[in-house]
Amino acid sequence: MEEEKQTTETSEEDLRAKRPNISRRSMCLGIGGAAALVALGGLKYVGSTPVVRPPGGQDEDRLVSACVRCQKCYEACPRGVIAPVHVEDGILQTRTPKMYFDNGWCDFCADENGGVPLCVEVCPTRALELPAGATAQSTIIGKAAIDTDTCLAYRLTGCRFCYDACPYEAIELDEINRPVVIADKCNGCGACESVCVSLKEGSISSGATKRAIVVEPQA
Amino acid sequence: MNRDTEEKKSARAQGKASGAKPGLSTLRRVLPWIVMVVVALGFGLHKGFGTLSDFGWMDVSVLCPLGALGTMLASKLLVPRALISLAIVAVLILLLGRTFCGWVCPVPSVAKLRRAFAKGGRTKKDAEEAAARTPKLAPGAPLTDEEKALLAQSCHEAHSSHGTRVFDSRGAVLAGALGSAAIFGFPVFCLVCPIGLTFATILLVMRAFGVGDVTVSLIVVPALLLAEVVFFRKWCHTLCPLGALMSLLGRANRTVLPTIDNEKCLETSKGRRCGACGRACDEGIDPRHPQLGAARANECTRCRACADACPAGAITFPLIARTQDEGPAPAIAVKEEAKTLQHSQ
Repeated sequence: MEEEKQTTETSEEDLRAKRPNISRRSMCLGIGGAAALVALGGLKYVGSTPVVRPPGGQDEDRLVSACVRCQKCYEACPRGVIAPVHVEDGILQTRTPKMYFDNGWCDFCADENGGVPLCVEVCPTRALELPAGATAQSTIIGKAAIDTDTCLAYRLTGCRFCYDACPYEAIELDEINRPVVIADKCNGCGACESVCVSLKEGSISSGATKRAIVVEPQA
Repeated sequence: MNRDTEEKKSARAQGKASGAKPGLSTLRRVLPWIVMVVVALGFGLHKGFGTLSDFGWMDVSVLCPLGALGTMLASKLLVPRALISLAIVAVLILLLGRTFCGWVCPVPSVAKLRRAFAKGGRTKKDAEEAAARTPKLAPGAPLTDEEKALLAQSCHEAHSSHGTRVFDSRGAVLAGALGSAAIFGFPVFCLVCPIGLTFATILLVMRAFGVGDVTVSLIVVPALLLAEVVFFRKWCHTLCPLGALMSLLGRANRTVLPTIDNEKCLETSKGRRCGACGRACDEGIDPRHPQLGAARANECTRCRACADACPAGAITFPLIARTQDEGPAPAIAVKEEAKTLQHSQ
């Protein structure tokens, strides 16, 4: 310390000017930054819409506490059914993973990785983690629900894409060929949603492209 | 993009008699962009090396140290992969200090977008800063007695006597980030980390055009990134907690640091005032006169600006530096002169 002091004293003015103050400005920035991060923590208490999580991410508290938003699960998913959560679904969970069944569904990487989901395997922080021995049947990603207002089958068109797609026989046709979900058999794989042809018409407003059968998160 | 300046730079570098390496400075400039392209390819092909938050093939990867600490503090669990990553990163930092900041991190490259918002090549503030760094005394003039005294101090002395601060504003942000994660139970900083936001922006744009995933995030995420690193200047130097973590561990780093060959350096060999290396350093390190620099050597990002700026080509980055005390004759001559000077005072 003494030596340092001496140097400062003996230096010429320009040399002293070159050494910026660590002092007040830096301190304010540091405290301000730290305070901002603590304030950000308060986002925990801002409401958010429940979303359908990838396999092993059903414990919402654990997922939010562990996910570093590295997007590794997104990249690993061979079916492209994982997507980052939108900011409008809740600031806290922005960029955490959710299921996106527009173009495919989750079969727990049966072909690609022998039934162990790659998203769970690559997750570095155990935000996605399945209990030992978990299978596609025993893991409930969500439950499919039919919107009877928009479902074509409920207009008696005879549409049965979802019924044909379901790998778990969790959809039955009623007496006039309308699909009905059997919740006990459904694990939320999204096969039905990915093939549903009745998109609501509209622009990019909320829910405009939601299909008539969608997987909903388990409360 | 700015091919003109690039050409000028490489021409300047090649024009130097010394062993300047224009290839390296080009590589340093393009490497973050290469990383971004590789990550984007990974997103597109659903197979790749992940983002910098967790870089590696499949489940063999290195997790961001701040993310690893944050997630473990938040979930109050020890995660094996996070611990292993922390150990690997610690070793890398011990060997290479803040090299990540200068070579891999996309944030400085993104921050260069600032130029797009400024008239002319550089912003006014950049120019002011450069002017402030330039000493009023003419380079090339003989050294004053005081300066000789400064030079005579060995690097080790200088480093140990200077820069006693462990904690700067970035350190406070680091403490805030980890504290907030522990209190609120989620890795808070990951939400706003500009490195994460950079890759998130790439992903969001790819998804918007690729699968028509339209979301407000497409505006919010890049806006936050711009606010942090483009409009808020000096993110890296005053706020980045990841940089703080690297500086902290980097205090024990003694390898691949800028090392001056006293036989070539104008100040030691010819007794002329120069200081070009100190002025070139964006981190505020002065390799020639460490005690005059605003930062210690542990802040070095190996950007090689000092080596490129040195008119004598005296600066290299050897794996292990030779001790300067047993330096060549000219340095000793200066040292002795300085000693007699001190005695006479």
